[in-house]
Amino acid sequence: MSMRSQVYEWSNLQTSSNQLRRLSTDQPAQVVGNREYDIFTGGIGNNITKPAETTATQFIVIEDIAASPVISGAVQIRINTTDYFQNPDVTNMDGIPGLASPYPRGANSTLDLTAVDATTVGSENILKSFDLYPDVYVLPGQTFQILYLTPSGTTTDATSTEVVSCFVKYTLYDGPDALIANKLLELGVTINPNNVDWYKRSLIEQQQRSRVAAAAGGQA
Amino acid sequence: MSMRSQVYEWDSTGMTVATQVGQRTSIFVGGVGNNITKPAETTATEFVVIEDIATTPSLGCWAGVADNTVIRGLLVDATVGTAGLAGPRSYVQVRINTTDYFLDPDNIPNDGIPGAASPYPRSINFQPAFNLYPDVYVLPGQVWDVLVTFYNSGAFVTTTSAAGELMCFVKYTLYDGPDALIANKLLEMGISINPGNVDWYKRSLLQAQA
Repeated sequence: MSMRSQVYEWSNLQTSSNQLRRLSTDQPAQVVGNREYDIFTGGIGNNITKPAETTATQFIVIEDIAASPVISGAVQIRINTTDYFQNPDVTNMDGIPGLASPYPRGANSTLDLTAVDATTVGSENILKSFDLYPDVYVLPGQTFQILYLTPSGTTTDATSTEVVSCFVKYTLYDGPDALIANKLLELGVTINPNNVDWYKRSLIEQQQRSRVAAAAGGQA
Repeated sequence: MSMRSQVYEWDSTGMTVATQVGQRTSIFVGGVGNNITKPAETTATEFVVIEDIATTPSLGCWAGVADNTVIRGLLVDATVGTAGLAGPRSYVQVRINTTDYFLDPDNIPNDGIPGAASPYPRSINFQPAFNLYPDVYVLPGQVWDVLVTFYNSGAFVTTTSAAGELMCFVKYTLYDGPDALIANKLLEMGISINPGNVDWYKRSLLQAQA
């Protein structure tokens, strides 16, 4: 299992800050406006034990990112210290809007924050208008962050705030497959499971040809 | 019939919600909902390729939503631990022998695929954002399991779950007999195992004989 499809889902639901596991007692936490939250180690919602990074024998290909389409949330990828999504003038931007890459797909984009019931929750189904292609590569030894930002933020009251989520889908190449991924990168070939398999097959075919040639040479 | 498309659907009907919330439950032999007679495993002449897993979706919403509101078919309970969330907040993990398939970026096993990313059933309101690719291979002689975890006890109308309140779905292809041998061969060759490639290998064997 050296190529594995992986996902990470974050939401601002927690029982206490810096929480590693989801709990049944979680409730919505405030998301401050105009502040970037690392969905891995940002301190609110479900977190992991250390910043996301690849070891020397790992290669990550980020294939999809998404965020709740409400309150103008956006999601950005940062590799080491470099933000992936930029404005045309090469200045910083918030990232991919949740409206362009919604999570869940088909979610509503508006909520009446004064009197919500089943009839006032937005009835539209937001579909994605953004596809993360080409994929984003995280090379061995790099640190990466997925940053969520909403300009408006949510309220402080746990009973009247908003639950927002982020989602990232990536493929983890480990061990020999990470070496092959590096080789494909050198060759300028897109890194995906098909191409990694293709490279393996070409290595096997090469070995077989060498073996046949050696046997033929021995007979002569 | 040596390559067969198979599905397994699990429904938590009758589950005691307070006992199972936050617990990992096997959809095959977990003791709740519909189960099978023994843990799922492959024999020496079987090869299983898991192609899709899914569970009941959830939707984050405003925490001030009134108690017992139904949003897009999902129940909202306005008590602590459940406010602002419609649906069971469920996740589904694949385990091969003793190894969990889905990990966090710090290499620690997580709860698995969220229902919001891979919903079952799919609808206009809940569409998949996740595709299980590459597939998960269960080699001959391995034991496998699909584990569901949910965190929102407020998504259930009563203290025991009713039909459809928490479900799981797994789609896999079972290769048996000669086709399982071919599947192993394809694995050695680094070729994706799917019915098309198994047929291709058979054709290439026939062509080599002719």
